[in-house]
Amino acid sequence: MNDPQRAVETAPAVLTVRGLGKAYGAVDDAVISRTGSDRGSARDPLSGSIIAAWDVSFDVAAGEALGIVGESGSGTSTVLRCIAGDVPATCGDVRMECHDGGTSNVLTADPSERRRMRVDKISVVYQDPAEGLSLGVTAGGNIADPLTAAGWRNFMAIRERARELLARTDVPLDRMDDIVRTFSGGMRQRVQIARALANNPSVILLDEPTTGLDASVAAGVLDLLRGLLEEMNMAAVVVSHDFSVIEMLTSRCIVMHHGRVVESTLTDQLLEDPHHPYSQRLVSAARA
Amino acid sequence: MSTPAPILDVSGLCKEFVLHNIDGRKVNGLDNVSFALDPGEHLVLAGSSGAGKSTLLRAVYRTYLPTSGRVNFVLDDGRTVDLAVIPDRELLALRGRQIGYVSQFLRVQPRRGVLDLVTRAGVSRGMDVPSARDAAATSLRRLNIGEHLWDVHVAVLSGGEKQRVNIAAGLISPPRLVLLDEPVSALDPENRESAIELIGELRAQGVAVLAVFHDLDAIARLADRVLLMRRGRVTADGPTGEVLPMLKKEEALL
Repeated sequence: MNDPQRAVETAPAVLTVRGLGKAYGAVDDAVISRTGSDRGSARDPLSGSIIAAWDVSFDVAAGEALGIVGESGSGTSTVLRCIAGDVPATCGDVRMECHDGGTSNVLTADPSERRRMRVDKISVVYQDPAEGLSLGVTAGGNIADPLTAAGWRNFMAIRERARELLARTDVPLDRMDDIVRTFSGGMRQRVQIARALANNPSVILLDEPTTGLDASVAAGVLDLLRGLLEEMNMAAVVVSHDFSVIEMLTSRCIVMHHGRVVESTLTDQLLEDPHHPYSQRLVSAARA
Repeated sequence: MSTPAPILDVSGLCKEFVLHNIDGRKVNGLDNVSFALDPGEHLVLAGSSGAGKSTLLRAVYRTYLPTSGRVNFVLDDGRTVDLAVIPDRELLALRGRQIGYVSQFLRVQPRRGVLDLVTRAGVSRGMDVPSARDAAATSLRRLNIGEHLWDVHVAVLSGGEKQRVNIAAGLISPPRLVLLDEPVSALDPENRESAIELIGELRAQGVAVLAVFHDLDAIARLADRVLLMRRGRVTADGPTGEVLPMLKKEEALL
């Protein structure tokens, strides 16, 4: 097998994103040509349409983490939310190994199927734990929720699994039956991560997972995520504007600016040898 | 006499940095660099600072994306790939396993124990856990990292200790090509000695080494060949005995 195109064996992609786009308002070729990084805005000055993300493509293999870097408003979270199904995409093709073996476009699956995928195939960790958790429910209850949705019925088994997940994410077990609203920000984030892992998803999407936490708390959550990504064979996508998060968790990344991908590269290469003017600006600002 | 096929064959390698935010200024890093490295051969890059030595290491590892030229690397199955152009994911699959890079500093400083870090490096290159642990313990001992430090997080070690842990992790079950960027520069004489010994042993294991060393003693002891660089160009390439006097002359002038 001497295939010159694939000399080096790599793990197959379990998440493939092609031409993903999200527009608010009417969109055609002319609108696209008047927006983006080159035009300095995601908003079309003529129609007022906003092209939040356009022509976004990438692959992620199992056990691999890809970063999406950009300032707030650059479209990074939009991409994540379109993949997760929180926001309907305008166009694009997203394949997942865990969905029809990657033979059909996730974006065109019916809504009930997409909700089902969120139970045990794709998990999202949001910047704000209030989005991923029910704050008025106990930590154990928050984890029981996706388990029962996946068909778990035995109360003791659910308790045991919740205990195991909380222990793995360093949440004190004596807080298991406390309402999440009484938890600190860092601990809420750990509960959200525990819930996201409940059904061993094959894809995990992390949206600014440490933003807004105190530095020492953020470092702890980052360590936890790094360990989890190393030991669980998930495909991860990490959105962050913080290069220390991207550097710690990912090996490849894409840079977005005004809704477009301006650079797609190795993470160490982005930090040491950024090519696009916007990437160079971002990296030098982070290094200052 | 037949010469072995090189494991690394670099030809016409150029690297230009375009600084878009400083008027698009262009900075020349490497200018038409060519050389070959045989399996088990130890080649040292020498020259004054700014000559392009680290730039060359990074361009081979692709931390810097080459502007033009080829970086042909022979895989363990005998096929050749051009590291300058293979897809990112293929390059990542080679890093650590077939091509190692030991820098002066740890890039990301994990809150992870010393022994664990070195053991994991061995496991990532195919060792089983018990033998990786044994090998890690042996090389940590040889580098004078005492057992009382083995479960301490790397992040809290001193600079010299970190550098030695970095060497231990980089050289355990070594890849076929190892890139070393001033790996012993921050070490005291005694620790430098043990590190140099450990690096020297790579030759017997058939590991090709491309390294930057500043001090002449390390170069004299570790290099089979020296590549002298200046302003991103190769100005001399030959056996250590021939190039070292040229380097000494150049340093005397500075």
